[in-house]
Amino acid sequence: MNYGPLVFLGAFFALAASWFGFVLTPQLQVGRLEQTTNLVSKALYPAGRPGLARQGLEVYRANGCAYCHSQQVGQTGTSFDVRLTEAGTNQTKMVAALVKIGAATSEAAARDLIAKVPVAVRVAVPKAVADADVKALKAAGAQAAVWIVPFGPDLARGWGRRRTVAEDFLFDSAALAGTQRVGPDLADVGSRLPDVNWHLNHLFYPQQAVKGSLMPPSRFLFETRRIERVASPDALVLPADLPARLAPPAGYEVVPRPEAIALVAYLTSLRADAPIFVAPFSAVGAPPADTNAPAAGSVPTNAPPTNAPAK
Amino acid sequence: MNSEPKSISEGVGAGEPSATRGPVPVWLMLLVFFLIYGGMLAFDLSGGWFDKDVYAPFTSKVELVDSQPVTSHNPMETGFRVYHKPTCVACHQADGKGTPGQFPSLVKSEWIDEQEPGRIIRIVLNGLTGELKFNGQTFNGTMVPWKDVLNDEEIADVLTFVRQNKEWGNNAPAVAPERVAAVREKIKDKATPFTPDELMKLSPAD
Repeated sequence: MNYGPLVFLGAFFALAASWFGFVLTPQLQVGRLEQTTNLVSKALYPAGRPGLARQGLEVYRANGCAYCHSQQVGQTGTSFDVRLTEAGTNQTKMVAALVKIGAATSEAAARDLIAKVPVAVRVAVPKAVADADVKALKAAGAQAAVWIVPFGPDLARGWGRRRTVAEDFLFDSAALAGTQRVGPDLADVGSRLPDVNWHLNHLFYPQQAVKGSLMPPSRFLFETRRIERVASPDALVLPADLPARLAPPAGYEVVPRPEAIALVAYLTSLRADAPIFVAPFSAVGAPPADTNAPAAGSVPTNAPPTNAPAK
Repeated sequence: MNSEPKSISEGVGAGEPSATRGPVPVWLMLLVFFLIYGGMLAFDLSGGWFDKDVYAPFTSKVELVDSQPVTSHNPMETGFRVYHKPTCVACHQADGKGTPGQFPSLVKSEWIDEQEPGRIIRIVLNGLTGELKFNGQTFNGTMVPWKDVLNDEEIADVLTFVRQNKEWGNNAPAVAPERVAAVREKIKDKATPFTPDELMKLSPAD
């Protein structure tokens, strides 16, 4: 029997199915992705990385950072809290309302809650219950809102405020999402570690900055050179307890190469703390960044004091 | 008893495997059926129907929309964005002080601080031309009409932003979008910019 046509069709459909699944469907889904809006500041997100950070992305890519660091934070679920922001003037009514919605077991407990305003009076309730509770509290004269809190192991580690979505990589020509986590996730490293000098020191000698770190040092991104007349304003502020073998000889300084400056600009530009439609959360205090530009005060600069020589 | 390898079909050498056509076992069909059913069920319940907006903890667009935080509308914020679109900021400047001789200042201005916003709504909608005297200065510039560029909400927000801007020393009542819509309807046939004289003849409450 001639199975040729059957084998051909089998191979054709197997390849066609994977092409549909891995190429066509993702293209249809996110191929025309556009900027979205920050839910709090209403600004466009993401705003694109500054030029130096774009160069840093290439350094990150060339040095294979993505093999040990992922840039994708997961989220197991979204919890709805009822957040009381203002208790209003009628305390008796307020106490009764808090006891009624089950936020407090006794009137004394309700008074404790009111004293702690702003406070989450109910945590992780279904959306419908949260809506009803907010209505009840507002009827008692309070200011209350349903608070949307993403949760999950990654978020509990402080690696971000929400899950990573495709929008976060919109302007990155290579989406360096990574697959392994030998080191911590870097999706939001710019907002948790905005200090440029910390990053430079960490690249120079990781074990100094993070005890027990497995990260190989990237000392090839720095040069040790003789101090000519005046010290470079870019020179690394090395910690006092640096091992003697790494410390530059007297009259020398450790200066980051342009690659190191660019890499750190990229790292500090990695921020995923904007609430957007596809990954919503409620934010309090200072509005989260509507940009993935570096955090304020973390832009690499030639000027003291951040990179001033230690002496 | 019989230790001979069992051949699948007859007429072929013992122990030699060969392919034949036979009925598919029922258990395999059932297994495949339940696998496909389970897959469809999981897709239906948590797949989000391939919507690009629906990511993992959310299972449908409805749930996602339901999970959006309530953001209150603050005309001072939205108005600031309209002002800097760039619309007003091009002439009246970011500090609201305008350009001497051409574009009047919006800071501590008696035109802005009128309790009723009838006149400035007309200015924003249709523009203003002609010599204008106020705060002891004379201005002779032309303001372009914005009625085709900004909608009622945007005009109301930007006017509220200007009228309630504490940094500029203004403190006048907010402007409602309905008020802008009403004025827009009244002057829909007027194609030319207003002149100061025309406006002064009008009652600000009109």
